[in-house]
Amino acid sequence: MIRLQNVTKTYKRGSDGEVVALKDVSIEVNKGEFVFVVGPSGSGKSTFMKLLTREQVIDEGELWVAGKNLGTLRAWKVPVLRREIGYVYQDFKLLSNKTVYENIAFALEVIGKHRREIERRVPEVLELVGLADKAKAQPHELSGGQQQRVSVARAFVNNPRILLCDEPTGNLDPSTSVGIMKLLDRINRTGATVVMATHDQHIVDSMRRRVIELEDGVVVRDQSRGVYGYGS
Amino acid sequence: MTARWRYIMVEAFTGLRRNLMMTFAVVLSVTVSLTLLGASLLLSDQVDLATDDWVGRVEVSIFLCDDRTCPAITPEQQDDLRSELESQEVVAEVFYESKREAFERFQELFSDQPSLVDAIDPDTLPASFRVRLENPNLFNVIADQFSAFPGVDEIVDQREVLNQFLRFTNVVRNAALIVAAIQLVAAGVLIANTIRVAAFARREQTSVMRLVGASNWYIRLPFVLEGVMAGLIGALVSWGLLYATVPRVAGNLSRDIELMPFIGAEQVILVGPWLLIAGTGIAAFSSIVALRRFLDV
Repeated sequence: MIRLQNVTKTYKRGSDGEVVALKDVSIEVNKGEFVFVVGPSGSGKSTFMKLLTREQVIDEGELWVAGKNLGTLRAWKVPVLRREIGYVYQDFKLLSNKTVYENIAFALEVIGKHRREIERRVPEVLELVGLADKAKAQPHELSGGQQQRVSVARAFVNNPRILLCDEPTGNLDPSTSVGIMKLLDRINRTGATVVMATHDQHIVDSMRRRVIELEDGVVVRDQSRGVYGYGS
Repeated sequence: MTARWRYIMVEAFTGLRRNLMMTFAVVLSVTVSLTLLGASLLLSDQVDLATDDWVGRVEVSIFLCDDRTCPAITPEQQDDLRSELESQEVVAEVFYESKREAFERFQELFSDQPSLVDAIDPDTLPASFRVRLENPNLFNVIADQFSAFPGVDEIVDQREVLNQFLRFTNVVRNAALIVAAIQLVAAGVLIANTIRVAAFARREQTSVMRLVGASNWYIRLPFVLEGVMAGLIGALVSWGLLYATVPRVAGNLSRDIELMPFIGAEQVILVGPWLLIAGTGIAAFSSIVALRRFLDV
């Protein structure tokens, strides 16, 4: 589902400076896997996530996502790639002028789905994330955990093959985080591949899923049923 | 209308309404530039109209010798000249103007300057053949062929007089065009800036759209349409302004100046499509340029 082969990504800083964000990284994630990507700030986690949605383009190597070669993917085909990927942010990125229902429906409207499909699919995902009764609420009326559920619902409403989560529990307290993780686990069981970048040691340790650890742009650990760090 | 198009239209109108002052500035600036553009186009029309009318009447004058500068033309030479002229393909018509006719025309032309008329003897002005050409540009053919003809004094192309007038109107028209072009560029920059502000105000929404895989044109079209609508309104206003003023001004002028025909409402209507194309074109172009960096994937 996701395959990096000797991928290198370098950022230019000014005229002469260069920052190597990822160095010769090779990773393969199969369909239906649940993967944590851990590592300190600046380790290359964010770059890794941005490469997968083609917000950034690799410099060297090969990158395949959902059957597409992102090294050669044309710019106008990027939206097609992104329809295969659901994305959950740390700060939710919900539109404050729309209701919960409208926020989720918006994700389908703008990719040209028919209204009938939208009317069928939105209540379904609201049910899945346990917010069927909050459809008409504004985002600011919800708790952080509920907002993140809406965000997950929006990411999943189009039935993506891959769910990318960038610190989804970063703004939530531990008990709320557990709820979000249960939700992600449930989505993973429907067959979606989940890749989650996180700092949250407790969650990684309790889930016992595959862990990929990055440090200074290099994979220092790739462990199935892993924990957050060697020390814990 | 499908849901997608409804979304695009609603977004575009919302953008225009949300920033009324900016929309007003854009419409005003487009109006000013297109009014100037329209005015210069209409001036071109006016010049063409006047030129066409004049060119049809302009003649080549072949002045005949009368012993003042060269030996007087003999009746035989005069008959030869006439038949030779009439046999030319480029010649449409030949009139003879006698000394007396020339004097009468002079009297008429300068009737408001009696001192000038008094200074001229009925015999002073030379007789001439006035030749109307099929194509007035072929003056040289006649000049080359007949300037050495026996009894011919001088050949004068009346078009020279017209050319002076044309040079003057061209300067006026070009000045108007240059100002219009500068104004149009200013309008374009203003539109680009407005669209950028609009895109910035809705950056959260567009970033979500990118995230969920909305296509590029779908993200941009509301903004482009917002610019195009402002450009369209400006074009329509300038068209209306020209329609309200130009035929009236031309009407007043044609009462005072009977020498040439003037443009009317018909020409103003015909210039409208060009204004619409220019207005929406510049708006679309600057909107797209403004969004290029901003909304790229």
